[in-house]
Amino acid sequence: MFAHIFTARLKCLLRDRGLVFWTLLFPILLALFFKMGFSNLNTADSFRPIPVAVVNDAQYRRNAPFRQALQSASEGKGRLFTLTVTTKGNADELLKENKIYGYLTAGSPVEVTVRSAGYEQSILKSFADSYLQTYSAASYLIGKNPAAAAGLAESLQSRRDFTESLPSGGGASDNTTLYFYSLVAMACLYGSFWGMKEVVDIQADLSQRAARVNVAPVHKMKVFFSGVTAVFLVNFAEILVLLVFLRFALGIGFGGKTGLVVLTALVGTVTGIFFGSFVGAAVKAGEGAKVGILIGLSMLGSALAGMMYEGIKYVIQQHAPLLGYLNPVNLVADAFYCLYSFSGYGRYALDLTILAGFILFFGAGTYLIIRRQSYASL
Amino acid sequence: MQVFKLGLKIIRKNIPMMMIYVGTFLGITISFAFAGTSRQQPPSFADEKADVAFFAAESTPLVDGLKRELSKSVNFVDVRDDPEAIQDALYFESVTYVVRIPKGFTGQFLAGKDAKVEKITLPDSVYNAYLDLAVNRYLSTARLYLKNDPGISQRDLAARLDTDLSKGAKVFLTDTAGRDNGSFSGYSHTGFTAFYFIYLAYVLPLVLIFGITNVMAVYNDRDLSRRNFCAPISFVRYNLQFILATCAFSLAAWVILVLPCAILDRNGFFTGNAAAQVLNSFAFLLCASAFAFLIGSLVKGRSTVSAVANVFTLGPCFISGVFIPQKYLNDAVLRIASFTPVYWYVTADNKIAELTDFGLMSLSPSLFCMLVELCFAAAFLLLGLVVGKKRRAAD
Repeated sequence: MFAHIFTARLKCLLRDRGLVFWTLLFPILLALFFKMGFSNLNTADSFRPIPVAVVNDAQYRRNAPFRQALQSASEGKGRLFTLTVTTKGNADELLKENKIYGYLTAGSPVEVTVRSAGYEQSILKSFADSYLQTYSAASYLIGKNPAAAAGLAESLQSRRDFTESLPSGGGASDNTTLYFYSLVAMACLYGSFWGMKEVVDIQADLSQRAARVNVAPVHKMKVFFSGVTAVFLVNFAEILVLLVFLRFALGIGFGGKTGLVVLTALVGTVTGIFFGSFVGAAVKAGEGAKVGILIGLSMLGSALAGMMYEGIKYVIQQHAPLLGYLNPVNLVADAFYCLYSFSGYGRYALDLTILAGFILFFGAGTYLIIRRQSYASL
Repeated sequence: MQVFKLGLKIIRKNIPMMMIYVGTFLGITISFAFAGTSRQQPPSFADEKADVAFFAAESTPLVDGLKRELSKSVNFVDVRDDPEAIQDALYFESVTYVVRIPKGFTGQFLAGKDAKVEKITLPDSVYNAYLDLAVNRYLSTARLYLKNDPGISQRDLAARLDTDLSKGAKVFLTDTAGRDNGSFSGYSHTGFTAFYFIYLAYVLPLVLIFGITNVMAVYNDRDLSRRNFCAPISFVRYNLQFILATCAFSLAAWVILVLPCAILDRNGFFTGNAAAQVLNSFAFLLCASAFAFLIGSLVKGRSTVSAVANVFTLGPCFISGVFIPQKYLNDAVLRIASFTPVYWYVTADNKIAELTDFGLMSLSPSLFCMLVELCFAAAFLLLGLVVGKKRRAAD
């Protein structure tokens, strides 16, 4: 009997083209749009040598330490600047055409000419400051001990690095990944449409098909669980297709822990299905209103999980952590994020535990509402 | 005017559905616009400030001096000293650079050993070079003193460094009014209004598609239209009234969607820039209505319309610079986007936002974009008419 209902439900589900679109094709299309939109986002912030100029006048030619400091900052692989040595008129022209961010004029003190404020300009100014400050220290020291002058000239030109990079502790360098994680989480929660359909199709007061099914001499829970199994199979397969698409077609990183990524998808899918079945059973309104509630809640959840703007997730995490724990979309997205970013599993385990709690709550709720219902008239 | 009235009646029935989109749009736009426009560009030259987390395992005059010096170029952000919290802060760019002074740093540094400040950074970030420069500036000057004035006490050293590091280069701003081509920040130009009009490119087509396709679904229904054509009303009149109803709806939707901007941002709205943006949004309105007409002629069934509407509004918005500013988009993506009217709408809006005078010469690039939008409108309309005619012939 189980096999019979299961296959019948499976056919029934797969023929619902609209639902297949929303739960499979729509997330895939959205992922594609995300990828196209974000393709440059990571490199937009990255550092490139800053095009600047220096005015080649008598003072510049005379000032050897400055010249050498500037040259050493414009050489090699980790260089700060791409330097053009030119006349003042030409430098102005370059600045006007946005070919350079600013230019330096040697003198006492060094002058910086820019068109507007920005990081590049600040770096240029910071470099000029740095030169002046070292110069100030050097003049003081020479005043105190004229014999030190020879060694000082050398110190003025050298750029030493007093910083050392620590590993960041995780692989998180691509900070657009969360958009894709919350998208997968949204797709999991879209499983709620399937879950709702399952309940609508067995509650005799909700649809004619359910009225017919109820007449059959089969235990209702048997019908429900065969249906839910079919729904789970379809939805989980969809999520796996989405994950494979993200990982291999779009190249989104999920960290190396494939088994746990699949487990997260599984838990997310089940949460979605029971959430939908619970809403389907608990809300006494037309199917349109139920769909509206599901769309509204999953979109709100996705927005709060950072699908439209990922900063929201961090704000909630910092100021209203409870809201984050009550949002299944956020929990699923956060579980993916933990697998990608952290080496520890504490937060990941917490996410999955709360999701399991949600599954239990929605599952038990659905069961209590739909069990033992009989109808005097339909 | 029965046909006209029928059109309005159908639209009225669909108002709740459209209100969901309008409400969401207003909510998102308003919160984003306020968040986005608080970051106005400083009018004069000010050093950019990076967000930094600073952890020091020891408090010595040297370390305190470094922190003081850094505070000139950074905002210190409080982050819990825990690897996951730090990772979170970096991922969400709440901080871009984490400084950690290890225990014993001062002692080693003063002894002339190779002491290093530990840092955790976003790889390749533009902020790294800036912060490295600030840290190195302080420490290399300190090193200079230690090398050449070996007897100096730590307190004197910190005091000397304070004096030296207060020196700064003089900055000349050549052009305070002239903004360059927008390569420094997003929508700082006219703030809320500019932002609002960009987001309009998402919601306007969505509302129009839902409204117009629903009317067309009824008018094009085979049985209904056959019955309607039995009525003693000429085909031309029938169609004219239908067109009138659609236009009335489009105009109403446009006014309703533009009006909140005028109320919320009075200063920004009554400017030349906003006037040009209103004009641009009108050109886009024609385009979106024509597109809705095309969808209505092509697609049958409510759920299909909803799918098509969402895909064809979200997609172009992502790749044309509505959700993500154009300057962040890949050239190849933008080239694809230029085959959609949304791209031209956003391009025109961006150009308008930069205008300071409104002569024909400076307006002409944005007028050209509007012209392209109108061409799209004509193309959609023609296509819709052809498809509609074919379908009627097939019936």
